[in-house]
Formats: sequence, C-alpha cells, structure tokens
Amino acid sequence: MAVVPQPQHEKPSRVEEARAGFARYKADVKKRGKPFYPYAMFHDTVMSLIVVTVILGLAAIWKWTSYGPHHDGTHQGLLGPEYTAPADPGTTSFVPRPDWYFYFLFYLLRIFKWPESVFLGTVGVPTIALILLLLLPFMDTRLERRPSHRPVAMVAMALTIVSMAVLTWKGATANEALASEVIANVPNWVKQEKLPPQALPGAKLFATAGCTACHTYLGTGSSNLGAPDLTAIGTRNLGITFQVNHLKCPSCVNPGSPMPKFASLGDTRLHQLAVFLEASKGPQH
Amino acid sequence: MPYSRKPTRAEIRRERLQEAINFPLDWLEERSGLVGGIRYFLFRKVPADTNWMQTLGSAALTAFLVQAITGVILAMYYKPDPKDAYSSIQNITDHLTMGWMVRGMHKWGASVFIILMFLHMGRVFLFGAYKYPRELNWIIGVLILVMGMMEGFTGYLLPWDQTAYWASVVGINLNGTAPFLGPWLAQFLRSGQEIGADTLSRFYSLHMLLIPGGIISLIGLHLYLVIRLGVTSPPWSREAAGMVPADEEPVPLRPGLTRPVPRTIAAAQGDAGGSE
Repeated sequence: MAVVPQPQHEKPSRVEEARAGFARYKADVKKRGKPFYPYAMFHDTVMSLIVVTVILGLAAIWKWTSYGPHHDGTHQGLLGPEYTAPADPGTTSFVPRPDWYFYFLFYLLRIFKWPESVFLGTVGVPTIALILLLLLPFMDTRLERRPSHRPVAMVAMALTIVSMAVLTWKGATANEALASEVIANVPNWVKQEKLPPQALPGAKLFATAGCTACHTYLGTGSSNLGAPDLTAIGTRNLGITFQVNHLKCPSCVNPGSPMPKFASLGDTRLHQLAVFLEASKGPQH
Repeated sequence: MPYSRKPTRAEIRRERLQEAINFPLDWLEERSGLVGGIRYFLFRKVPADTNWMQTLGSAALTAFLVQAITGVILAMYYKPDPKDAYSSIQNITDHLTMGWMVRGMHKWGASVFIILMFLHMGRVFLFGAYKYPRELNWIIGVLILVMGMMEGFTGYLLPWDQTAYWASVVGINLNGTAPFLGPWLAQFLRSGQEIGADTLSRFYSLHMLLIPGGIISLIGLHLYLVIRLGVTSPPWSREAAGMVPADEEPVPLRPGLTRPVPRTIAAAQGDAGGSE
C-alpha cells in the first residue's frame, strides 16, 4: 500500500509555536510597550548609582579598618588586610587562600580528597557544571516560562543555589592549621613516633613550612587535594634522595601531582625535611 | 519656512540656532547613521511591566565599567615586576592621593561584579529568558561569567604579597591536574618552571589586555542581541508577553492580580461583563 502523506495542519510544531509566540511578543511590545528612555533607564540609573555607592563604601571600610598601628595596610580589619607580607618563595608557612568567589571550588577539592578522585574535584565537577550551564537552553526547550509551571527547573535552581552557598560557606570557615599551633605538636610527635634527635629540625620545618595545609600528620593538619597522610611515610623506605628530589619538584617524580615545588627551601632544609619524613614510621609503642 | 507674516528677529535667531545645533548631528548621521542608532537604542520599546530585577544586567555593566576605569588608573602606577610590584602596591595604597580608593574600588568592584553577574543569571533563569530565541545570549553570558572569574584569578597575583603568591602557586598547580591540556596550561600560566618575573608579566598581560578585550567584545554582542531581540517581560505578566495576541486587548483584572489569565476564563469574564 502506498503511504499517503497526511496533511499536518492540526497541531503546529514546537518551532512554529515558538516563532509565532515571538512574533506576538514583538507586536505586543510595539503596541503596548514603553520607550526604554526614560522609563527603564530610570531604574537602571538608580541601580547603577547604588552599585557604585556600595563599591565605594566597601573600599572605604577596607581602608579605614585595615590601617593598623604600624601605619600600613597589613592590619586584619573588617574586610582583610590591604596587603600581606611581600611574596617570599622561601618561606612557605603561608596557607594559600583564593578570593572568596573561588571558595566553592576550593571546598570541592576537600570533598574529593582521595588521590584517585582529586581529578573529579579539580576538573571533573566544574567542567560538567560549566557544560550543563552552557547547554541549558538546549536541554530545556519548552516554551513555558512561568516558574510555577517549571517545577524541575525551579528545584534545580534551588539545589544549585543551596549547594553553592554551602560550599562557599564551608570554604570560608574551613579550619586551616596555623603554623604556630602545629609547632606546639612537635614534642608530641617526637614522643609518639620516637623520632631521633637529628629528625627534630625537619619536624619543626614540617610544622612551619605549610606542609600541614594539605597533609596530615598524627591527626594534625587537613588533607587537601589528595595529599596523603604522612604519619608513617618512613615505612615506605623511599630514601633520602627520593624525598629531596620529590620536594624539589613533586610533579617531576610523580607526574600530575598538584603539590607545589619546595626547591626554594634550599638543600640543607630539604635534607632536614627528608630525614624527618624517613624517620616517621608511625606511632611506636 | 512658510511664514504667514514676516518672521520676527527672535524667530530668525531661534531658527539659526536650531540649524547650528542640528548641523553637527546631521553631519554625523549622514556619514555614520550613529544618531539614528542611538535614537533607536533610547526610544526602542520595552515591555511596560519590566521590573527592578531586570536592572541587574545593567548594574553588572556598571560594575564592569568601574573595573575598567579604576584598572586604567592602577595601570599607570603599578609595576609588573617582582622587584617593584609590592612596593608599587604599597605606594598606591598608602601614599598616592585617593590611591587607596581606586585600588579599593578595583578590588571590591571585582566581587560586586561577580555577585551581580550571578544574580543576573539567576534572574534570567527564573524568567526563562534563555529560551527561544535568546539561547545564544545565554551562552554569551555564561562565557562573560567565566572570563570574569578568570580576571579574578589573574588579578589576584598582581599585588605580589604572600596571599597572592601562594594562592596562585596552588591555582596554577590545580590547572596542571587537568587531563591532556593540564600540564600545558600550567606551563603556559607559569611561563616557565617557576613562578617569577615572567609569570607576573604574563598574568598582567592576560589581566589587562586579553581577557578584558574578550569581555568587552562579548558584552557588545550581548547588548546587541538584547536590543535586537527585545527585553523579556516577566513570565507572569499579561502584557507584552506574547501570551495575549496583540490584536486582543488584555482583560482588565482586579488591581494587584498579576497572574496570566487562561483565555477561556478571560472570555467568560468578557461575556459576564457584557461590555461588548
């Protein structure tokens, strides 16, 4: 039997409906709209003035609360210092912290802290989120725009806002170990791990050089970016040479490692660190 | 001009004044069409019921302009070299007249810009304004947001203090963990094996030439599409939403009731009123 093409004018296709809707919108705006100037432009101007005022206010608060007793801008203030100490690749007792709008990414890294899954936190989840965001208009092609008729979109929006807010908040309040607190634990490490005296300088260096920003040692520090616990790193007998080379350039020894290079600490201090790491055989009884 | 009587001296003067004012505008219009373009931009129709939420886009634009202006001023005094960067920041902050204000506005303007872009995106999502025919403008907007965050990342290193340095060390290393392109990207950002003078001038160049250039072009496209396609009306509005055909008058409702009315109910109300 021959297939007879059926006339298709009962129901317009989605594309036809969209085009007709947009033509109605254009005609409607032309007929009953208001000119941009002065109506919409008035609102825009008021809002812009508020924006500039808020920016000026933040600048002023930053200035007047961070101007410290030493007559410079390193005082903490309400909105943080105007600048911290000059960059010094040699001393790494500094906890790296991004600007606040990267906190959600920053905290995502702490969720995926197992070495095998770091990749998910650094690249996987953000890339997928970005692709979903870019493709949104092609995933949601319904013409309905009323929020009350778009339950899935509204739930997705609420979940996104809540998760971004939680991640930002957690990132902001993440408890970073302070060098001054970590160094207080060194005697305890010596006792528990029965560290030999020659490992002591390395232990102090380990506590102050920012290692505990990513690594943990006998429960001190916070694991970040997949950095392993170093309590018993010495049991792997990697050797002093390996430890020094790894500290100098982690990604050369261990490709893909996100750990910064510590070559700038100098050979003497790197050797001390290596001795400490090799002496760390876990709690001894 | 067809005067029914001889024009007075004041009338002749006014007419000449008008010609003098119009001459440069006509000159410009004849050669560029700019006057007509600006007139179209200013007097184009927007839906009568646009609301305050729809000012967020222009507010983000204002924040970007603040960044552009304060950035140009900062670039006049900032020195992108590890030896001088920190002291030039100190000089701007502590010694230059109003320097603290320009730097403070640039630093905090960045946060305000990012917040406003997110709020604007939320509004567009709520209004379903990314739907046909505005899909392309949503994509451009997402790209502007991403480039805005790249500005934040590259600008953070420039003061060359401890915060800046160590955040960038970790940030660059994180880029390096991406598969395939990661190591290349980290190498490109670092401009060598270590973070140093080359990294700083590279970040400076990205921060004040490449990325802002990209953002400005994308904002231009974004605005072009807004003007071409028109401003979306709130999804719940009866007017100008394309929900009521233009040749039908919208059905008057009790004031304050802003939900769209189904056509059938509207028709029934029309019957009951018996006004036709």
